[in-house]
Amino acid sequence: MPDIPTWLQGTAVAVWTRESPSVWAYPTVLMLHTVGLGVLVGANAVIDFRLLGFAPRLPIPSLAPLYRFMWAGFAVNATTGAMLFASDATTKARQPVFYVKLTLIVASLVVTAMIRRTIERGRASGDGDLSLRPGRRLAALSLVLWAGAITAGRLMAYL
Amino acid sequence: MNAFVAWLESTIVSRTIVQYRWIWPLCEIVHFIGLTLVVGIAGFFDLRLMGFMKRVPVSAARDLMPLAIAGFLLNLMTGAVFFIGTPHQYVGNVAWWAKMLCLLLAGLNAMFFETTVGARTMNLGAGDDTPRLAKMVGALSLASWLGVLYWGRMLPYIGNAF
Repeated sequence: MPDIPTWLQGTAVAVWTRESPSVWAYPTVLMLHTVGLGVLVGANAVIDFRLLGFAPRLPIPSLAPLYRFMWAGFAVNATTGAMLFASDATTKARQPVFYVKLTLIVASLVVTAMIRRTIERGRASGDGDLSLRPGRRLAALSLVLWAGAITAGRLMAYL
Repeated sequence: MNAFVAWLESTIVSRTIVQYRWIWPLCEIVHFIGLTLVVGIAGFFDLRLMGFMKRVPVSAARDLMPLAIAGFLLNLMTGAVFFIGTPHQYVGNVAWWAKMLCLLLAGLNAMFFETTVGARTMNLGAGDDTPRLAKMVGALSLASWLGVLYWGRMLPYIGNAF
């Protein structure tokens, strides 16, 4: 059974991310991870707060393009996240808070998908502008889970 | 400047911030949540000003702005905690000054918007295009907030803080 974290840490991309003195290596990867977080969670927040009753004049179906931004933010963060993990895999694989973070991200993504389904069903039945009750509860859950993922991610630097 | 840093670091507030080791991580968490609100909510409005997502009425997009302002205030407060805690890390730090410059730009740009095209864009509904000046303001706003984020994240690497 090969030791996966040790192997990961020795890959060329992990070594470059960790050891290159270039500002384009670790600092830029980390910066992009923060930009991706802002786009992914920020786009989620727009929809969540709308479903919670903020900006009632904002038509919910008009927010559909935000899902493309979420995908872009997620793609950036999956890539940069994999690079950051690989660069320090043996340490990060042993951090309990890392697994808390991953679990929270998966849960957040599931809730995000459920919200999208709720919105699209509302649009199909012609009342896309109604903040349905399940939509409200999901939106609150989404905000809590994403904030939790951010918290766990930040704590990786301290725990 | 050195005298100011020395004075600030001798204050009880500054010493308390560094003394309790949970204060810094807690403020970092809040700072990142605030960042998300600014990028997400203000970025959404900026994109609409730039002409994206035309099905969104401009005035309705603006109704979310208090949330972006709330995020900004959270970051102003937590940012002040970082600065008061360890001012020596920032005053000589080129990345920090670049971040402050981007903040100033974002603020002046918002003031310019409010005093010029702001009112004209507020009547725009779904499907309406925005004036060219509003597009420029939106692009500059987005660029300056991304600049704030960029230089903030680069504080330890370009500016050698921490």
